[in-house]
Amino acid sequence: MWTDIAQTLLDGVMVGGLYATVAVGVTLVFGIMGILNFAHGQMVMLGAYVAFYCVTAGWGFWVGLAAAMAGMGLFGFVLERLVFRHTLTDHMAGLTASLGVIMVVENLAAAVFTPDHRSFEPPFAGSVQLLGLTLSSQRLLVLVLVLALVGVFYLFLQKTRLGKAIRAMGQNRTGAALAGVQTTHITALVFVLGSAMAGAAGVLYGSLFAINPYMAGGPLMKGFILTVLGGLGSVPGAVLAGFLLGLAESVGSRYLSASFRDGYGFILMIVALLWFPTGLFGTRGKARV
Amino acid sequence: MTTRPGFIAQATTLALAGLLLSGVAAAQVIKIGMVNSLTGPHSTFDLPASEGIQMAVDEINKRGGINVKGKKVTFALVSEDAQSKPELAVSAAQRLLRDDDIKVVFGILTSGPGIPAATLFAKSDILYFGGFTLMDTLLGKPGSELLFRTLNADATVARSFVPAAVKELGVKKVGILLPNEDVSRSVVAVYKPLLEAAGVAVGPVEYFQPDTTDFAPVLRKFQNAGLDGLFTGTNDALVEAIVRQSTELGSLPKKFLYRGGSGGPGIKYAKSVDGFIWQILTRDLDNGTDPKVKAWSERYKAFTTKDISPNTYWALTFYDSVFMMARAMEEVGSTTDLKAIAAKVKSMRYDGVRTMRFDKEGRAQSDIDIGMLKDGKVSSVRASAE
Repeated sequence: MWTDIAQTLLDGVMVGGLYATVAVGVTLVFGIMGILNFAHGQMVMLGAYVAFYCVTAGWGFWVGLAAAMAGMGLFGFVLERLVFRHTLTDHMAGLTASLGVIMVVENLAAAVFTPDHRSFEPPFAGSVQLLGLTLSSQRLLVLVLVLALVGVFYLFLQKTRLGKAIRAMGQNRTGAALAGVQTTHITALVFVLGSAMAGAAGVLYGSLFAINPYMAGGPLMKGFILTVLGGLGSVPGAVLAGFLLGLAESVGSRYLSASFRDGYGFILMIVALLWFPTGLFGTRGKARV
Repeated sequence: MTTRPGFIAQATTLALAGLLLSGVAAAQVIKIGMVNSLTGPHSTFDLPASEGIQMAVDEINKRGGINVKGKKVTFALVSEDAQSKPELAVSAAQRLLRDDDIKVVFGILTSGPGIPAATLFAKSDILYFGGFTLMDTLLGKPGSELLFRTLNADATVARSFVPAAVKELGVKKVGILLPNEDVSRSVVAVYKPLLEAAGVAVGPVEYFQPDTTDFAPVLRKFQNAGLDGLFTGTNDALVEAIVRQSTELGSLPKKFLYRGGSGGPGIKYAKSVDGFIWQILTRDLDNGTDPKVKAWSERYKAFTTKDISPNTYWALTFYDSVFMMARAMEEVGSTTDLKAIAAKVKSMRYDGVRTMRFDKEGRAQSDIDIGMLKDGKVSSVRASAE
């Protein structure tokens, strides 16, 4: 009984870490820059394909992870320069542009990769026994990588000048500009970082689940739920919300019904927002990073 | 005199041209509608299915068409994309129906887009050949006399599949894990009694959200339940995820009965599973030894310039049915008397790449191939529908 509960909780934490990685990217771009980039899910998908091709080419998972982060960072930079830079002051235009990007990327991906589902070999297969629990080795690795990625990212935001500039922009864009922050460069940097995190999330996702050109909807929807649940622009909030969502889905599916899996996340969001209207770590009027 | 041979040659050429032209004028071209999800997630099934239809039409036309009361008739395909969405399937069907010349339509292997399109075709008195599972709910009802499902109904497949699966895998107690869809309820209603009749105890029956990717929580429900087999479906991606995550989580059955048409999800994890058995609703293109199937595979590769892939066997869903329809038109002596053509198709037994016949309600009664992964080896057996 207790073993089963512990395993279920750990399952939730492990998959919640994956959600958190997506949410961190969304919270940066949406929460801090105020840009509703619905194409974020497409970057998760593209990142997964980069890893798929790296692994099948024999270069291995780690090269795939690095290539996906670099590739999606570059893609984010191009998108920011070509599209979102010009829509910063017009949310509807930005939203429309991102929907257009979704259509282009998704259909191109389907044409190039084919709609077939793909999967690649993770670095670890099988399961490990830990304190009487049977846990998937790859899921444990994903959890460790998520914690490392989010931890490094958090430290970057807190300790470096660029991180402080991002946080300053999140609080007040005009004020940051008056204080000497080059807002156009920082906006591009946020896009690069958010996209690189999406690429990493895609690789981790692909190491556990099958990938296809139409997979972006799920991670994107959860990313936005977590961004709201965690508090707009709050990285710790997004991470905590990711773990909570993973736990809600895991416990709900195990002990209630697996056919209502996504519903648990929305119930969690509604209940949490009743108690914390600005999200778990949100502050009224300004973003918290 | 010197001009005479030239004159004869010119006259002969003109006469031949006239004959050819009169022949062309006499050949009637019948438009055949084709609606399939050529884009979107369902294109995995529908794209090869559309290739099979095109291939059959091309082969018939290259033979000179069919002979209907002494007249040559060839076919021209008009294709529309359902885009894997029910509302767009209806739009695609409506575009076909705007063309008064289209009275016969083939296509759609998935129930979401299939149901609304088939309903529209039934109301419009179109001779429609579909393949999707929920088409069984339409067949046999008043107004559905012109509808055909070219893949066997679950009940028919199950009667062939369950005894073979139980015998080959030697399972004693299985759990059932399926997506939360109407289809799954009918699958359980069909397979559970057959499994029990074959001496297999059926343990937990669980339904999961159809777009689930993480199966760990629901798979935990099957742990330590004394199971030695897991019956699951409904598509390769989901089942591959289930097989993979079962082997990762441990303490779960390692024998799988797959209500699906590909061995891929099991073969990929051949070293980690004890057995995997699946339904090839048409023909085993990878491991089969049937010369007809091998010859068809070569023609497919030449026609499409593609290699055989795990989804190619869907191309055989409609392939033989196109020939059956063409033969029925010849035997009835009409391309427009749809009721007579439908009745003729229902009375026919066709020995094509598949051995096919339809019952009086339009349900296919075809033999199927059953694929097996056992002791690390992949093979298949043919199971009769009779």
